[in-house]
Amino acid sequence: MADYSIWVLEYCYVSKYHKSGVLYGAHNQGYVKLPYCYVVIKGRHHVAMIDVGYNDKAYGKVLGDRFGVANWRDPKVVLAEVGLTPEDVDTCFISHAHFDHFGNVEDFPKAKFYIQEREISKWVWAMSLPDRMRWMMVAVDPGDIVRGVGLAADKRLVTVDGAMEDVLPGIDLHSAPDSHTWGSMWVTVRNDGQKQSEDTWVLAGDLVYQFDNLKSSGAVVDVETMYTPVGLAVGSQTNLILATEEMMSQVRYEARRVIPIHEERLRDAFPSRITNEGLRVTEICLADGEESKVA
Amino acid sequence: MSSIDLFTRLTSTHKPDCILSLHGPAPEAVPDPEQMARALGSEAVSVYATACRPIYEDMRRIIGQLAGLLILARLTERPEMADLTEMKSCQSRWQDAAQRLGTLVAPPGLDRHKLQLESAHAFSGRVMGTFPELRAGNVNGAQLDRMSVQIKRAYAHLNAASSVKASLQMVDFSQACCSCDALVAAR
Repeated sequence: MADYSIWVLEYCYVSKYHKSGVLYGAHNQGYVKLPYCYVVIKGRHHVAMIDVGYNDKAYGKVLGDRFGVANWRDPKVVLAEVGLTPEDVDTCFISHAHFDHFGNVEDFPKAKFYIQEREISKWVWAMSLPDRMRWMMVAVDPGDIVRGVGLAADKRLVTVDGAMEDVLPGIDLHSAPDSHTWGSMWVTVRNDGQKQSEDTWVLAGDLVYQFDNLKSSGAVVDVETMYTPVGLAVGSQTNLILATEEMMSQVRYEARRVIPIHEERLRDAFPSRITNEGLRVTEICLADGEESKVA
Repeated sequence: MSSIDLFTRLTSTHKPDCILSLHGPAPEAVPDPEQMARALGSEAVSVYATACRPIYEDMRRIIGQLAGLLILARLTERPEMADLTEMKSCQSRWQDAAQRLGTLVAPPGLDRHKLQLESAHAFSGRVMGTFPELRAGNVNGAQLDRMSVQIKRAYAHLNAASSVKASLQMVDFSQACCSCDALVAAR
């Protein structure tokens, strides 16, 4: 029995992203493809998303010209691949406030948004610091926070303090303070609805970029494999490792059940297809009665 | 009032939550310093763009901070925002920006650009000035609604004054999940 279908939907990508950004310490090891994705969770009469991407109208030209971000597509186009529209989405879990995760709330007019309170309060703090400490403000658009003001006024923004169980039936939120960002969050789906689930999926946000963060060679310290954190952390890599351990424990150390959204190799682990737009749809699991969208 | 007058008034009046319901210069696309420099080739334009950067950075932070504090004030129903050290920093930065704006000289053709910065500053100042009026509990709805419109208006003005080529931009992408080979190649 599975309550929810889960898809990872690519909405644009960078063809060559420096590997040291993905994997801490991987200097001079070349480049990897970095897909930009959001996650759709459908079931129990809900359509939820993890993150909403960014709005190409605001950033598209800069990202395309300066950073090689390619093939951005509107959520209408991307969600249509799994038979949904942005208006169908009733819940959005924002893993963190970077522009490519929180930068397109306006395209989801009926959704209620969940974000960690710490993610807001610590960004406010970071913005109050002297200019010489500006690094801590990286990748956040004040405009996204301004749009959050509108969501709060419309009672469509919920700030979460730490963990929150059953925010939707069988779906829990977990916080990873001072890690990738100040108040990063991951989402756990207990797909059989049980408290001690045998069918758990962890949607990791940017706490894990790619599979290598979960399992990389540990030869240097004489172990078979070990966790290696992502390259970018405004908090600490230690906290990323601690969050990774907690995520892995939730899935009983079955690494394929922790889903990284910047991972091109999801195609090797799950059924997927490339759309006519040149973007990948990856099917993580299907709810009972749901038809495959990649067959 | 005739029905046609009423209809005209209703269709031409902005809703209370519309940023254009507030008086003042409209947030509108204006020639940015890069465009003006291309047209005029003026050193004065270059000097102006350089002088704008700290003002723009101040305003970007002020608006972001105030927006975050507004969210927290709305959702926590706690009024202490005005006493936070972050608010003091915001006030200090706003004063710095006022001084810099006071000495900013816009070359011919860029007065409208400067006006956008001034308007962003003015509207954010109104928001900041209202925080001390907030009271504990769920009693601040009208004030928070007004502040929300004002902060959106401030952002709209700053956005109108943005210019990628002049390094007046909302997001620092330098460490984002997209700083890739194109950037490396450009170095």
